[in-house]
Amino acid sequence: MEIKDSYELPLPKERVWAALNDEQFLKKSIPWCEKLERRSETELAAEVKLKIGPMSTRFTGNITLSDIDPPNGYTITGSGKGGIAGAASGSARVKLIEDKDTLSTTLSYEVSAQVKGKIAQLGSRLIQSTAKKLSKNFFGSFVKQLEDMDKS
Amino acid sequence: MYSTKYIKPNSTSEALEAIKSMGEGKFLAGGMTLIPTLKQRLASPDGLVDISGCDLDSISDEVDAIKIGAMTKHASVGESGLVKKAIPALAKLADGIGDRQVRNRGTLGGSVANNDPSACYPSAVLALKAIVHTNTRSIEADEFFTGMFETLLEENEIIEAISFSKPAKANYVKFPNPASRYAMVGVFVAQFNDGVRVAVTGAGEGGVFRHAEMEAALSSNYNADALSALEISSEGLISDLHASPEYRANLIKEMTKRAVV
Repeated sequence: MEIKDSYELPLPKERVWAALNDEQFLKKSIPWCEKLERRSETELAAEVKLKIGPMSTRFTGNITLSDIDPPNGYTITGSGKGGIAGAASGSARVKLIEDKDTLSTTLSYEVSAQVKGKIAQLGSRLIQSTAKKLSKNFFGSFVKQLEDMDKS
Repeated sequence: MYSTKYIKPNSTSEALEAIKSMGEGKFLAGGMTLIPTLKQRLASPDGLVDISGCDLDSISDEVDAIKIGAMTKHASVGESGLVKKAIPALAKLADGIGDRQVRNRGTLGGSVANNDPSACYPSAVLALKAIVHTNTRSIEADEFFTGMFETLLEENEIIEAISFSKPAKANYVKFPNPASRYAMVGVFVAQFNDGVRVAVTGAGEGGVFRHAEMEAALSSNYNADALSALEISSEGLISDLHASPEYRANLIKEMTKRAVV
């Protein structure tokens, strides 16, 4: 399963990169994130309450940053356990490309996601759509926050 | 064993009181989705408020529309003389949901509030310009569905009834999953004096949607041939183990052709 998309931001690359490394920004972007704490340079602890249709499960897990190439991109990986419901993980390769003439940046991402356990059995027909929706939520609200900040 | 609180009130106002007394309660309609979810421990609400005693299961003729109570079971809609006479396509849809057990438990309101992307009923709501009546307001179908498993309903808002406009002509055809009978693609076509509405379920990643190109083609010529030249885009269609987006795009066209008779 592969999910790809990109956004264009009217901001220099360094600004976008700084936001990608700011846990406050990330917390507001991760859908239903209830807790996000930085453990180290590359590790954060997260608690997410995922609600999809009739399912409602609290996941606790880690977010790790790897393949870090400032300010051009990184891979952000989240993995969590939802108790008896199973486990879910997803990673997104994020790339920033700057257009020097307009000083705008294109943020592109490629997501892959896996689920295990009961969620996988019950929700198999929905996993792709859900992963797509969550990715869109994450990057959509990330981009919106940046744009709002730029305006104010 | 796990325990949960169960309350069965006699009116929607009592049901609202009951749910407010719980931290994270859930309304229980027919339970055809919620109960399996609870059994699998994929949700663990503090309590359930069963609204089957709230007198929400009548079917009435409102001249231009048929109004069906939210707790009306699929089997009752399928059997209803009123529905069969005014909107036979709606009775046919209800008769094709799941299996006999599901049709004897599952409800109209439960299905519509859940907005499963593969459920049959949302397509009828959208194609038949239905109005969703809740305890606080009336919502037009075009505004009601907002995404996969998402609707305009607020927390603790109950659907009380849904009014389906009577079309000049309508039909529902689905390609069911052979195991679950869920629509891999289902198309509800309804012809009104001011045009044709085509609602597609089972196919869109955002849930049920109207197909503008097919509506335009059928509004000018209500004939299956009018669709022959159309290319159905696979953009935004569901991809899962049952079918690819391209396969679903083809099914959308095929099911619509079969529905236009």
